[in-house]
Amino acid sequence: MKEKIQKLLESECPDIDFTASNELVTDGILESLTLTIIIAALSMEFGISIPYEDIIEENFNSLDAMAAMVERLAN
Amino acid sequence: MNLASAFFVLFSAAIIFLYYSFPRRFQWLILTLASVMFYATYGIEHFLFVILGTVIAYFAARWIQSIYDASEGGAPAERKTEARSILLWMSAALALLLIYAKVGAFLIQGIANLFFGGRTANAPIISVLGISYYTFSLLSYLADVYWKKDRAETNFLRLLLFAIYFPKILQGPIARHKDLAPQLAQEHSFHYQELCFGLQLMLWGYFKKMVIADRLALFVNTVFGNVTGESGAHLLIASIFGAFQLYCDFSGCMDIIGGFSQILGLRLETNFNHPFFSRSAAEFWRRWHITLGTWFKDYIYMPLAISPKLIGFSKKVRERFGIRAGRAVMTVIPSAVVWILTGIWHSVGWSYIAWGIYWGILIISSTVFAPELKKLTEALHINTKAGSWKVFQMVRTFSLFVISRILTIPGDLNRSVQVFQGILTRFHPEHFFDGSLYTLGLDRPNFILAIVCIFILWAVSMLQERGPVRERIARSNIVFRWMIYYTAFFAIVIFGIYGPGYDAASFVYMQY
Repeated sequence: MKEKIQKLLESECPDIDFTASNELVTDGILESLTLTIIIAALSMEFGISIPYEDIIEENFNSLDAMAAMVERLAN
Repeated sequence: MNLASAFFVLFSAAIIFLYYSFPRRFQWLILTLASVMFYATYGIEHFLFVILGTVIAYFAARWIQSIYDASEGGAPAERKTEARSILLWMSAALALLLIYAKVGAFLIQGIANLFFGGRTANAPIISVLGISYYTFSLLSYLADVYWKKDRAETNFLRLLLFAIYFPKILQGPIARHKDLAPQLAQEHSFHYQELCFGLQLMLWGYFKKMVIADRLALFVNTVFGNVTGESGAHLLIASIFGAFQLYCDFSGCMDIIGGFSQILGLRLETNFNHPFFSRSAAEFWRRWHITLGTWFKDYIYMPLAISPKLIGFSKKVRERFGIRAGRAVMTVIPSAVVWILTGIWHSVGWSYIAWGIYWGILIISSTVFAPELKKLTEALHINTKAGSWKVFQMVRTFSLFVISRILTIPGDLNRSVQVFQGILTRFHPEHFFDGSLYTLGLDRPNFILAIVCIFILWAVSMLQERGPVRERIARSNIVFRWMIYYTAFFAIVIFGIYGPGYDAASFVYMQY
């Protein structure tokens, strides 16, 4: 799952190194505009709907966190 | 009670004394009582609105919380729908209060103009003090409880204190319950350093408000009071002064209430971060009125941008017109909604609607056309790391802000057009040098003092950008430290602009 998400996000946002940090949001690498692109990409690719209460830093700070959230929502 | 009045200074001093004299468990009650008294000085009708808003938010949040608490481990779908309905209906009720207070007069006048040739009955519309600020705070509280980012307050008086904590009720910042309420509930001990830092911040705030903003206002009001008669040179200077006036007025107020809160051991959210150093319109709005921007981002922009309907629509556009068009949909629609609402939040007149559209177009186009702008700077061989380019970007952003001030200062869109016409068609550059600038509300010494003060503002802002100034002052020797305090204090006393009753002019952002 993590590799699939990495590949997807690298094609959507080629300027961002998603492996550079485990604090992607906290460090300011991901801003709100990028977050909306990521959320749309994940929703379209995995057919999930990400509720607003899940839009928290902890769920987007790393590829692992995003993979865990997608798996949880897909199930 | 004006924050820049002698009465407010005495009132604050009395509150600080009582706050630290009584047992600490009463501190929040002292603040509640002080806030009620402070707000009541503006009239009881204002108070009824805030009580009604707080009652709605209090019971709605407790209802939502009870649904979540009764179904630990995840509310079943029908209960989740119930919580959502409560959120929507009660948010609508809060929004209605806001709309009634802000838009009512505008709508009634519009209907009267349309159907009755401008004749209106005496509509029961009042301008409710601070309603835009506390309603947004209560709406965010309700939404945070619904999104499980906060818990419902069980004590009504504590929620009331959060809503009307008196320093912030007039002009914000738009506080978040989960940040401010725990601080208000906490017991605070007196710290000498907090007193010093708080007083320093208050002094700087009073300097910005009374020495700079109110001085510039004399010139701005004189020139904008005669937009058809003044030359373009005068109008341009007044517009630039108008930009500094608003910044010093609003951020000065934030410093006064931030400093006062710091003395009480409370930290309010930062509302300004040297916006005139911004290099783009988007950065400007991350530095100017920060709590309003983050409110719109968290409660309007993001929920809209990630809504399944918009994502679905974006997907269709993407499949038909390509990835860029799909992304543009996700940027343009929420941003357009946010900027129109931001304009209306300030005022419902056409000036602020035009103002919202202006900023919306600037920010949306800078995002949508970012690839083209990047290519253009590369084609022109612009060194984007050069200091001169950065200065150019700051001047460009400031100029964009000045244009937005021209849209709002006259209070009427036709008059704004006349200002633009004046600047473009009858500039008269000789008016910069013929002494006529000193006949427009500020004589020569006061005009020069205003310019000197803007340079002081710039120098202090530069120092603040490089690190906390107050800590550096605290580390300096006692002679230098007290020299700064005395200079600031006497500068305010001697150079401050005083109106009737020795009070400064009202703060610009109080009207929102």
